[in-house]
Amino acid sequence: MKEIKNNNTENESFLATWLAGDISDKELKNLVSEADFIAYKKIKKGLLVLDSFEQPLSGSFVKIQDKIVQKKERKQKRQNLGWGMSIAASLLVLFGLFSMFNNSEIIIGTANAEQKTIFLLDGSEVVLNAKSEISYYKEEWNANRVVKLTGEAFFKVKKGSTFTVKTAYGDVMVLGTQFNVNAINDYFQVTCFEGKVKVINNQKDYILNPTNSYRKINGNAFEEFNTSTPLPTWINGESNFKSVPLKYVIFAIEKQYNIEIDANNINGSQIFTGSFSHNNLEIALASVFRTMNINYNKKEKGIYILE
Amino acid sequence: MIKDLNNICNQKVFEKIYHAYAKDLKRFLYFKTQDMDLAEDIMQDAFVKLWDNCGNVNYDKTKSFLFTVAKNLFLNIKKHEKVVLNHQKYQLRKSNDETPEYLMIEKEFLVKIEDAIASLPEKQKEVFLMNRMEKKKYKEIAEILGISVKAVEKRMHFALVIMKDKIGNV
Repeated sequence: MKEIKNNNTENESFLATWLAGDISDKELKNLVSEADFIAYKKIKKGLLVLDSFEQPLSGSFVKIQDKIVQKKERKQKRQNLGWGMSIAASLLVLFGLFSMFNNSEIIIGTANAEQKTIFLLDGSEVVLNAKSEISYYKEEWNANRVVKLTGEAFFKVKKGSTFTVKTAYGDVMVLGTQFNVNAINDYFQVTCFEGKVKVINNQKDYILNPTNSYRKINGNAFEEFNTSTPLPTWINGESNFKSVPLKYVIFAIEKQYNIEIDANNINGSQIFTGSFSHNNLEIALASVFRTMNINYNKKEKGIYILE
Repeated sequence: MIKDLNNICNQKVFEKIYHAYAKDLKRFLYFKTQDMDLAEDIMQDAFVKLWDNCGNVNYDKTKSFLFTVAKNLFLNIKKHEKVVLNHQKYQLRKSNDETPEYLMIEKEFLVKIEDAIASLPEKQKEVFLMNRMEKKKYKEIAEILGISVKAVEKRMHFALVIMKDKIGNV
């Protein structure tokens, strides 16, 4: 049976040319029976359907993100409500205030022991560490990508115009890149993870390349050093310090665990190098204070005293 | 917390969910709509809905959430367009008595095609897969295999004849 068919079609190739689109359905119709014509058409359609099932879907994912970005503004307001009444209330007041100027400031913050991922209007991503806050002006965003930061955040910036992070201790400017900014209690540190980052402090510029860090503590001269991790360690649940005065480490523990630490009896300017994890307070306290030979005692719930 | 692997609001987790279910969802929608573009649209909208509700959806129920949302989106569109569609079908039948443009592709039919491809003789299968899966032109296949373009075309032609016989008339 197959032999015969093989002989019959030995010199024929019109189905191949039809499948490639070089001869039309109409021409095919003249070459085969009506039933065969429909059968071939359905096979071709089935093959095309199979093809599209196999196509990579990353293009669609970009479109989904576009749709999400278009809805972003509404979303961010909704996200804010989840962060506790205090923030919601202050937001309402601010919206009220700024609607008078027809330019609303969006403020997004985290409480102690909380982290949050935020998408900005251009699709840039900000991961806020505990007790941190960013704000920006919605109407100005397209002309001016400027975000104000207090606390610590990791930025993944979409390519585009200059992106500026303003802090009380200096500004950080980039085009499209990934970097971490920590600006709290006179502690200012910027780490670049991808691309190039410009730090502006006291009218001076510093350019950071990947793995470079810039740090300035409490008005001292700035230092530059290198990091080896591909992401800030706090994103993976660990805070890391390299020759940092102990009092800043204590601030960080207080933020991460929402506790109070009484450090009046110790010297807060001792230098600490090391890390603490975000998921177990006992281990965190031990890993910082045991290594420094400092005793810590629980005074009452959430309050610790150092000696 | 960002490190929570079950938090759908985490961009990384969301992307992982997308790659896990997008293909299945699109397939499911295609068999409902018989329209690849529409299936794609509804699939995208279902994921946007998931993102909107990322804080409320239980991680373990993500899949059923996506499929339920997709089904509802499809039903809404269908309800909305029912009248229009009926009208179109009626017109189609009138103007295209001889060549039915509207061929339903069912799940079972695709399985039949896949089976038929798998059972092709080795030479035909080789050419067929290079053309369909690797998207190579007949000319490129001829160069790779060191045979004439005509020979490639003959193998393709024969592959289609075998497939049609295997699948049977529809």
